[in-house]
Amino acid sequence: MATRNPPVPTAGAPAPTSGAPRDAYVIGGNRIPFARAGGKYSRASNQEMFTAALEGLVARYGLQGERLGEVVGGAVLKHARDFNLVRESVLGSSLSAQTPAYDLQQACATGLEAAIAVSNKIRLGQVESGVAGGSDTVSDAPIAVSEGLRRALLEASHAKTFGARVKAFGSVRPSDLAPLTPSTDEPRTGLSMGEHQAITTARWGITREAQDALALASHEHLAAAWDAGFFDDLVTPHRGLVRDQNLRADSSLEKLARLKPVYGKRLGGSPDDSGHRDGPEPTMTAGNSTPLTDGASTVLLGSREWASERNLPLLARVVDAETAAVDYVHGHEGLLMAPAHAVPRLLARNGLMLGDLDFYEIHEAFASTVLTTLAAWEDDEYCRTELGLDGRLGSIDRGRLNVTGSSLAAGHPFAATGGRIVATAAKLVARKAAETGGTTRALISVCAAGGLGVAMILESVHSTDATA
Amino acid sequence: MRVETLPAVPGLGGLYGKGLAASGRLMMTRRLPGGGASDLALPDVAYRVAGVATGDDAAPGAVGSAAHLARYAQVVGEAPSEHLPAGYLHVLGFPLATALMVRGDFPLSLLGMVHLANAVSLVRPVRLGDTLEVRAWAQDLRPHRKGVQVDLVTEISVERTDDERAAGVGLPATTFAYRGVSTYLAKGTRLPDDSAGRTPEAHRDTGRDAQTFQPPLPTARWSLDGGTGRAYAAVSGDRNPIHTSALGAKAFGFPRAIAHGMYTAARALAESGAGRGETYDWTVSFAKPALLPSTVDVAIRPAADASARGRQDVEQVEAPVPDGAGDPRTGLTYVAWDRAGRPHLSGRVAPRP
Repeated sequence: MATRNPPVPTAGAPAPTSGAPRDAYVIGGNRIPFARAGGKYSRASNQEMFTAALEGLVARYGLQGERLGEVVGGAVLKHARDFNLVRESVLGSSLSAQTPAYDLQQACATGLEAAIAVSNKIRLGQVESGVAGGSDTVSDAPIAVSEGLRRALLEASHAKTFGARVKAFGSVRPSDLAPLTPSTDEPRTGLSMGEHQAITTARWGITREAQDALALASHEHLAAAWDAGFFDDLVTPHRGLVRDQNLRADSSLEKLARLKPVYGKRLGGSPDDSGHRDGPEPTMTAGNSTPLTDGASTVLLGSREWASERNLPLLARVVDAETAAVDYVHGHEGLLMAPAHAVPRLLARNGLMLGDLDFYEIHEAFASTVLTTLAAWEDDEYCRTELGLDGRLGSIDRGRLNVTGSSLAAGHPFAATGGRIVATAAKLVARKAAETGGTTRALISVCAAGGLGVAMILESVHSTDATA
Repeated sequence: MRVETLPAVPGLGGLYGKGLAASGRLMMTRRLPGGGASDLALPDVAYRVAGVATGDDAAPGAVGSAAHLARYAQVVGEAPSEHLPAGYLHVLGFPLATALMVRGDFPLSLLGMVHLANAVSLVRPVRLGDTLEVRAWAQDLRPHRKGVQVDLVTEISVERTDDERAAGVGLPATTFAYRGVSTYLAKGTRLPDDSAGRTPEAHRDTGRDAQTFQPPLPTARWSLDGGTGRAYAAVSGDRNPIHTSALGAKAFGFPRAIAHGMYTAARALAESGAGRGETYDWTVSFAKPALLPSTVDVAIRPAADASARGRQDVEQVEAPVPDGAGDPRTGLTYVAWDRAGRPHLSGRVAPRP
């Protein structure tokens, strides 16, 4: 039971690029500002938001009437009627109606996995161009009926006589009439994502102070990037929102320190009458955890030839990507620790060291998610026993981490986060390469429900041919 | 031991009425505290029911039918399957064990009896469509710090099909599939040779003081709503009022209804996952009952992980070790506790070697 697969060394695996016919490039991105749940987009559907982000992308890159190779995206909280969410959004956009589309869903990694899917088709020559993205709304989330009522409704719809239809409802109890709202609880554990992360935080001994400092840095970096105009060509205003609504430019360590913990309060049992508790002190607050958010994002990808024909820029080459999953159900690994596994495999396959990256875009599901991941890579024993490495993966230069802010400040509309990060990272490497003339690389990692994690490496395009 | 064959598995509702009457009779004849030594003997009889149908041959919606199994699976969180999980086999055999406990010559009162522990071995898979033979008997009456404990044993075998019988002349008529041992405590009753329950053996079974329990980091959380007892009562047939109504629970000294111990154990079994395999051992020891509604923290970990980390999530009360139980470092151990960090139950699920 629960047998442990021995860690598989990956350093010897062949690089997939060796056999790939050609490269896929990030050309640009567009998103709408992210809104706090119940905020500016409280009446906006996923389809409206994804269409808005897509339409902004079309306008920015002059794609009206174009037949793209495909548009791929999805939403985590999805209505049954949205079975073809992305295709419906394409039909509502000014792209050619002949642009195919499909929905993809991998929890919070939906957007990044969509970018992998599109770039792989480009690399194989199956498509010349494509859009990857995602949308999510907590404000317009689906509400389901209870299992008892659902069973009765199904039985009634299959019943052949009036009497049988009435009988089908006989089993419905008053409690069955309460609606079911979506939750972020893991189905197999009943623990919310925050509670899972509180356990991982306790196991790694991440302090409240370190989490608050990371949260503050996220707000400061995002505010500075907005002020510097970094997002001017990455974001299209929507429904009166011009900046990410969750951003608090005036946040401070003092303000963050005043917030009460919201997760991990039960670990080790409640405090006794004298306030003594046996378990670890709870450290995760609303300030160092990502709030529920609404929004949508898109990324335009293409082959060099396709971009060249349209005189579009090449921001970054998609080097490679890796998806990992961890055994969290019985507590062997933390729910959100899969990126810690994906990244070393990705680096090894591409002959890179952790320090070879110029930018680290680590999705801030919680401040402690980033910190536990970094702590894991610095832990010699963990890296040997759990990751199958010879020793610690290493430390990163914190000055290269989430330099224009991340989800703690911007918010995290689940499926929209991947697109936000890919576009940001591509622009960062393009800008730095233009300044320095050298090769610049960014590492992206996104954790997701179900113990999933996705990582990607982007690399700058040589300056002489960055604009094809 | 004499084997008495019953025509069918009796209904629990009638048995509870009979149990109530028998308990009253026991009180009237003062066979409880201070009763004579000769009275505290278990009936020397095993009940047997053959030809218990499951699947399409079971009565529609009755225990053993596909629809009933599906309802059970939904309540305890088992993955939908044509296999009868061990918790379901416990439900199937429970009325026969109860029938023994309400016999006039059973020396302990069913009412207020406390379920201490359960040890189950599923040695071959049982599927919908199998025809079963169920046997139950009581054994091993012995002292406990707070009274007398007794084991109720239920065994389930799968009857061979006509084809199998035709093919294998001389084969036994059934193959053994399941053995469950439920340990109950009758408080206040004393065995004559129990010098007031001060034997070391009696103390051993109560395990460590709950005060020494340190909750480990949880791996799961159960939000048990107020209807949990009624939901499990509906699929198990165990409609003991302490599980289904606050009023019924108050009559027995609980502030609110309490979850069925076997519901929590069955849920831990379900959440041990596919790694338990098709045949497994499953033990549970019950500590403090879980009040309804309540939120229960749970740690279900590979035994190897648990011992490597020196976790203290081992049993509070030692459950009997199932026959043929393998290496204690295999399988999963589980423990569940309340908001204040007091344990509800603990146990182990291990694939059979």
